[in-house]
Amino acid sequence: MSAVRFSGVSKNYGPVVALAGLDLDVAEGEFLSLLGPSGSGKSTTLGLLAGLIDADGGKIEIAGRDVTALPPEKRDLAMVFQNYALYPHLTVMENIAFPLEARKPKPDAGEIRRKVEVVAQALGIGALLARYPREISGGQQQRVALGRAMVRDPKVFLLDEPLSNLDARLRIRMRRDLKALHAQLGSTIVYVTHDQSEAMTLSSRIAIFNHGRLQQVAPPAEIYDRPANAFVANFVGDREMNFLDGELGVQGGVPRFVCAGGSVALHPSAAVLDAGKLRMGVRAEAIAPGRDKGDLRGTVALAELAGPDLFLTVRLADDTEIVARADPREFAAREGESVSLAFDPARIHLFDAETGIARHHGAA
Amino acid sequence: MTDVFAHALRRRAARLAVNALIGLFALLPILWGFLSSLKPTDKIVEFPPRLLPENPTLEHYARIFADNAAYFIANSIAVSAASVLLTLALGALAGYAIARFRFPGRDTLMVSTVAVMSIPIASLLVPTFTLLSATGLADTRLGLVLLYSAYQLPVVVWMLYGYFLSLPVEVENAARVDGCSPTRTLFKVVLPLSKPGLVAAGLFVLVFAWNDFVVAVTMTSSESARTFPVAIYFYLGFYGREWGPLLAASIVSIVPIVAIFVFLQRHFVSGLTGGGVKG
Repeated sequence: MSAVRFSGVSKNYGPVVALAGLDLDVAEGEFLSLLGPSGSGKSTTLGLLAGLIDADGGKIEIAGRDVTALPPEKRDLAMVFQNYALYPHLTVMENIAFPLEARKPKPDAGEIRRKVEVVAQALGIGALLARYPREISGGQQQRVALGRAMVRDPKVFLLDEPLSNLDARLRIRMRRDLKALHAQLGSTIVYVTHDQSEAMTLSSRIAIFNHGRLQQVAPPAEIYDRPANAFVANFVGDREMNFLDGELGVQGGVPRFVCAGGSVALHPSAAVLDAGKLRMGVRAEAIAPGRDKGDLRGTVALAELAGPDLFLTVRLADDTEIVARADPREFAAREGESVSLAFDPARIHLFDAETGIARHHGAA
Repeated sequence: MTDVFAHALRRRAARLAVNALIGLFALLPILWGFLSSLKPTDKIVEFPPRLLPENPTLEHYARIFADNAAYFIANSIAVSAASVLLTLALGALAGYAIARFRFPGRDTLMVSTVAVMSIPIASLLVPTFTLLSATGLADTRLGLVLLYSAYQLPVVVWMLYGYFLSLPVEVENAARVDGCSPTRTLFKVVLPLSKPGLVAAGLFVLVFAWNDFVVAVTMTSSESARTFPVAIYFYLGFYGREWGPLLAASIVSIVPIVAIFVFLQRHFVSGLTGGGVKG
């Protein structure tokens, strides 16, 4: 049985489609990230699941129970908000105890205290129980918010960009803690984020949204290696994907991608494709710059050294720009130099030029 | 540098002078009244006037308490307190509903709430007196409480509505997800966070009810339901003004309000919501 199931769920705000016919299953114990740019529908999805937003149509089930018409307090969920939403008038102790106090029948005071202390110890905030939220740091407030969610042992955890208000170092540490927490609790987590590296490192599966529509649901590696469409391909990865428009050609029995700046050898399996306009997508790390032997040539417009990587923005003959990655210990080029680009056929993605839907992935 | 410093100093001096002038203008009559209430009757209106009483006396204070002032003050306290509690209870529920829920007729309700605020109380005196007489509530403290509450409720609804809107909605959402019904959320989270708003709205009603003369003098006739402002009025009798008791009673009537304002001052300082929500 799925922990959460959306069937044809939709939500409009006037003429604006916030979510269009969402079908999505979340498995028991899964860490599912909802990823997308702002306004993509990911937060609407979480709000609908929590009951804070009413659906216009469709059905939402939690652990097999239809909750579409239930108010938030009857859904047995725990939620961590982006800005923590702690109760400012209550101490840390009272904040964490709050969901237990609201429970019917209310557990006795000793049991509540014991549960709060167990959670507070696990999160390393045991010494802060008597403080008020305004008296502790942002990272500690974050832990209190997590504690308030954990204390009730809910069916599903909802996390709404919980790390986005933390500074970079703390965020990476909390990310690790969250992952450990999930492994330890084994609970179902639905996690909203616009940070693709957060989604990649934490999730069992990622659901990618754009314009109120679910684009793809898959494990991180599959999202990265086999994106369902050009949007997904471009959205995940540290850098934008390189796109070139052109069409399929054959040379010496090998399929090639023919574009304005030249042609690029494709994986042999691409031969099965029908002719037609295509868009080629290649990540920077699948393009090796060199002195010669590449498929395309161009001039280095910008060289960026980013730690272990050298990113070269190369301008082709037709003025399109391609970003390639080099290992600075093996290859160096300065702005204005001419370089050739070798593409790894196994890591070339071909999309329909009109719809953006993936037609072929090099590796398969 | 010295120029800038001198300029800042001049500005500060000017501001101080203006504030002092406003303060004097507001407080001097009260000071005059207080000092005069300590003078024997024949010295109050003497000419040329003298600021400080030569032989201070408490005879006027003794007189008003001999005239049963304590009972009328108690009436005023009871009526004011009940009005404050009733308006806050109803105003909080109505303000919260309007601030956080969509329901049919919500916009109409909001507009009509503002609209009734613009009706002058004087025009309501006769109809409401008729209403109170018909229901047997004329000349009762309960009648006054209901009238004060009805007059002030629209303002209180609007004040609290605005205050609730300013609260971070995420905290309420958190309470809902944590298992609270909307009513429980109101009592456990929203109201505790709204203390400054509740205090401000409560004082608004309190000052109105405590100071009201016109409504009370119209709606009550017997001593049993008489409030303190009406009792004070009786020193402006048919046989002339009794300045001594009049001033003494006025000073006494100011004291509780001033005390309450001083006591509740810290609640005006907002910032109670600080720290709960980041962003």
